[in-house]
Amino acid sequence: MEILSQVFTISLIAATLRTTAPILLVALGGAFTTKAGIFNIGLEGQMLMGAFFGVLGSMWTGSALGGLFFGVTAAVLMALTFSFFVVTLRANEVVVGLALNIMAGGLTISLTKAIFGVRGSIVNPSIVGMPRIQVPFIHDIRPLGQILSGYTPLVYVAFAMVFVVWLILFRTRLGLYIRVTGEKPEAAQSLGIRTARMQHIASIICGVLAGVAGVHLSLGYIVMFAENMSSGRGFMAVAVLIFSGGDPLKVLLGCLLFGFADAASLRLQTMGVSSYLVLMVPFVVSLSALFLLSWRQRPRIIRETLDKLTAPVVAKGRGS
Amino acid sequence: MTDTTAAPSERRVPVWAEGLIGQMLALLIALTGGAVIIMLVGESPLHVYTVLLRGAFGSTENIAGSLLQATPIIVCGVAACVALRGGLFNIGVEGQLYVGGFAAAWVGFTLNLPAGLHVIVALAAGMAAGALWIALPAIMRARFNANEVVSTILMNYVAVLLTSYLTIAVFKRPGGWSETEPIAETAYLPQLLDGSRVNVGLIIGLALALGLYLFLRFTGAGYAVSAMGSNPKFAAYGGVRVKRNILLVLLSSGAIGGMAGGIETLGVHRRFMEGFAPGFGFDGVIAALLANGNPIGVVFAALFFGALRKGSLLMEVETGASREIITVIQALIILCVSAQILIRHRGGISGEKRWKF
Amino acid sequence: MAADVATDYAIEMIGITKRFGLLTANRDVSFAVRKGEIHALVGENGAGKTTLMNVLFGMHLPDAGQIRVNGQQVDITSPQVAIGLGLGMVHQHFKLVPSLTVAENIFLGMEIVRGGFIDRKAQAAAVRALSVTSGLVVDPDRVVRDLSVGIEQRVEILKVLARGARIVILDEPTAVLTPQESRDLFRTLRGFTDQGMTVILISHHLDEVLDVSDTVTVLRDGAVIGTEPAKALTEARLAQMMVGRPVDFGRKERQGTAGAPVLTLSRVHARDDRGLPALSDVTLTVHAGEIVAIAGVDGNGQTELAEVVAGLRMPSFGDIALNGHDIAGAPADIVRSAGLAHVPANRLVRGVDAQASITSNILMGRQNTAPFAKGGMIRWPRVRAEAAALIKRFDIRTQGPAAPVKSLSGGNMQKVVLAREFTQGKPFLLIDQPTRGVDIGATEGIHDEIMRRRAEGIAILLISVQLDECMKLADRLLVMFQGRVVADLDPLSATTNEIGMHMMGASQNRKVSA
Repeated sequence: MEILSQVFTISLIAATLRTTAPILLVALGGAFTTKAGIFNIGLEGQMLMGAFFGVLGSMWTGSALGGLFFGVTAAVLMALTFSFFVVTLRANEVVVGLALNIMAGGLTISLTKAIFGVRGSIVNPSIVGMPRIQVPFIHDIRPLGQILSGYTPLVYVAFAMVFVVWLILFRTRLGLYIRVTGEKPEAAQSLGIRTARMQHIASIICGVLAGVAGVHLSLGYIVMFAENMSSGRGFMAVAVLIFSGGDPLKVLLGCLLFGFADAASLRLQTMGVSSYLVLMVPFVVSLSALFLLSWRQRPRIIRETLDKLTAPVVAKGRGS
Repeated sequence: MTDTTAAPSERRVPVWAEGLIGQMLALLIALTGGAVIIMLVGESPLHVYTVLLRGAFGSTENIAGSLLQATPIIVCGVAACVALRGGLFNIGVEGQLYVGGFAAAWVGFTLNLPAGLHVIVALAAGMAAGALWIALPAIMRARFNANEVVSTILMNYVAVLLTSYLTIAVFKRPGGWSETEPIAETAYLPQLLDGSRVNVGLIIGLALALGLYLFLRFTGAGYAVSAMGSNPKFAAYGGVRVKRNILLVLLSSGAIGGMAGGIETLGVHRRFMEGFAPGFGFDGVIAALLANGNPIGVVFAALFFGALRKGSLLMEVETGASREIITVIQALIILCVSAQILIRHRGGISGEKRWKF
Repeated sequence: MAADVATDYAIEMIGITKRFGLLTANRDVSFAVRKGEIHALVGENGAGKTTLMNVLFGMHLPDAGQIRVNGQQVDITSPQVAIGLGLGMVHQHFKLVPSLTVAENIFLGMEIVRGGFIDRKAQAAAVRALSVTSGLVVDPDRVVRDLSVGIEQRVEILKVLARGARIVILDEPTAVLTPQESRDLFRTLRGFTDQGMTVILISHHLDEVLDVSDTVTVLRDGAVIGTEPAKALTEARLAQMMVGRPVDFGRKERQGTAGAPVLTLSRVHARDDRGLPALSDVTLTVHAGEIVAIAGVDGNGQTELAEVVAGLRMPSFGDIALNGHDIAGAPADIVRSAGLAHVPANRLVRGVDAQASITSNILMGRQNTAPFAKGGMIRWPRVRAEAAALIKRFDIRTQGPAAPVKSLSGGNMQKVVLAREFTQGKPFLLIDQPTRGVDIGATEGIHDEIMRRRAEGIAILLISVQLDECMKLADRLLVMFQGRVVADLDPLSATTNEIGMHMMGASQNRKVSA
């Protein structure tokens, strides 16, 4: 079909990888808090802080790296605030996450007005964005070159992070302790592992990755800061985390799904479909995924027949 | 299990006063934090706070303006309260507000009905739209025990986009602006004061708050909902049909959120437009959290937020601080209250709340 | 006193007393464990065995008494200290992480690390070596979630051995094992003592205790009844020591005989939350004016039985009739209107809303019916009056009906639940652990109230892990073991030995050969 061939092209794959990167980064960050047993809904706010302070940092230091540093620091500070209230003060995770998201929104807009005197967005030639990376050799091999080369560095970082996060979570002591904290804190505590500390560390790591995601948004392909730039990606990441349980590979698949939906729907926009409908697609996809997953995991009622009950029992540890 | 005996606690301060003191303290801390932010943006906190007060209460028009801003927050707050008291989080009030507002507008400019009936049908459409909008998250929570926080938040984004699409692509008023045709006069919500757009919606909001209070306090169904929010196992043990109640509570919450949108459309804007009522839904949720689900408390919190909003408009004109500063202050208040509320409850049985997905 | 005393004893606990509030769990307990022996600690629920071992393992500090390990007096202030002294404890409820492998669980908290990463190969090899020396064969790379309970237990034991334990405490190890697995366990334990280790075994499975242990200490009601070599004991004697009472139980006087059947269960099966069978083929009847008591060690299906009867759990098979209504699988409100009143086992979890007032708690279950409600509206003055009357009648110590329930002591909180459920005029009362966490004085009062209900012709199903409570009150005594009703006895004629053996499953031919 002509439409399909127009939509599904190599450049679509490249676009998918591009749009997947930010949500992948923030979801991987959230994987740590999820594994640590915390429902972290503040990802959106952390991303936003990363995006805003990334732009600021870039302007102040005149380099994208400086922007990265400031963006990540801001996100980590927000993440520490989150874990302080939730882990130390035992406040409700949803309320704190929500409050911090709102605070991030208000803070970034207020500071935009205060520092730049404008509302809405910061566009400024002195913002230094990220360079495109041309991978030598591969760049010239078509079509592979289009898919593997030419991205900004954080896209590569995002996909590399899948492996790194997996390594940390499943091959290091830190990752092990974080997972045990979330899965069975009594076991952890009985062996002297300090679960509160693990949760704080998980939150910090989450902040780092969320900050990187934010910086990618504002210094990656679009070099500017816009109000509420994260536009719900943080919540889509939460949806991914809900049905992936924080496992890096599943997170990758989930994020690719949304990245694809995002990129494909943008194609549709060039063909005349209203941009509003197009922007809706990733959210609708997330909601459908959530619905399908919860339907599959629904609690089931067991009704037995007499034959089943009188059949010989295969002992799985229970006495005869 | 072992039992540690506890003597009946001596109460020098009644429970409700204890809560109030805590909330006042939270407010104080938040205002201090706000002052810090204000200084960060290069303004004087004293100046800014004075302008805020003036903008909110400085004249009759300003007070009316505060009430106007507070109206949708009151209704949204009641919506969020309904859910909160049942132990649930409806963060999707913003989205229900939008679809409700649009549905009411549609009835307003599409149907031809006599004056009183038109308003009623329009508001009913708003409520229906709101309930419909929360239906999916509600079913997921009631039947599959799927967390309603993320699903209601995602629905917000869809709601804003969908209503924008409908406004601009389908129902756009010829003439260029991103809004629908104006609604018929028969669908107007009457105004309360001359020279201000404060309308009957305020009365509706107050009535809803009172109604919720009476419902929770004096009806058997309200008692069941309260018990469910406080200790769902106890409620189930006592015979409360928890699953069904979860559905009803969330649908009601959505319907009231939709009603808020209807009131905004019929009473204030008299049409639907892009950027219809930004943030009122979230303000309502925050007000409900601040009031810990108490419908009467929500009214006061909403009035406070309405005043903040009105004051912030003047603040933006007369100072360099943007009106989003009050958003930051609101967030700070909630943070402080969240820590405090749970400190109060720590003496009880449940410690942490474990989230199950 | 740090002299290195050459001694025969690995553990000596001397004069240990431990209280929790008004409850004395251990009362001047003294016993000693010889090096290289298997020492069994037996007693029924609430006898104080687990508390004593928790004190030994540093999870509680004793109020009085001292502990000597290998002859040296020690203060065991935390599990870490206990581990340092060579003690290891295998808990009744395993603390394994389901998604981790066997090796990861064993080395949790003391991982072998190489170059920043966990050295899984080295850990697996170490586990295999441990398997060889201990005789407990496990596959280090299998995920715990997939393991049978018997293998899970091996992992818990290996965990303890990996931390260098020479004195191993096992809390109810055979509660979840098949007879074959129990045999394997005992062979392992014998292997331990052959190597010079010492084993303390908490159990109430009499036959197994006698088969494997060298010495047995019996606890009852927090005190030591006796310590004797296993060779000198029989199951009957043990049962008698464990549950033996003076002939007069304080059995309540009663009149009248049972009337018509009110509650009938017929071939009821049910599963627990994990999907495992919890009730198997349960058939019983409770008549009007009759107290049927269900005795048995906690965890043998009593919880699920109560939930199934009360409409809080779906049975997977079978029929339940209450007052002529078929209620199998019916929701709780239907069961209540059919004639149920229910005192739940765990009042804080299920029986009250701790944040709410006494008045509010009294209303639960009747918020839509007369006399407390009319036309959907609650008549609070009426509820308040009832609450005040109940406070007086049940002697609830509180400031008033408006006091929040969380301000009450355990006993008074329980009285609120009883007050609510006992006065609804329902023909059937389901009472689960009515005096748990309640002091002696209030307990008497509660028992008297139960007898009064019986005299009014109400059918009562009483579930209690405290055998003397059952004996005091029951007209008929049922014993549950592993989800089945294994005995239907007349409390007047049944001997405590007989009851004890039913409770411990000895009547089920679970003979374990030496």
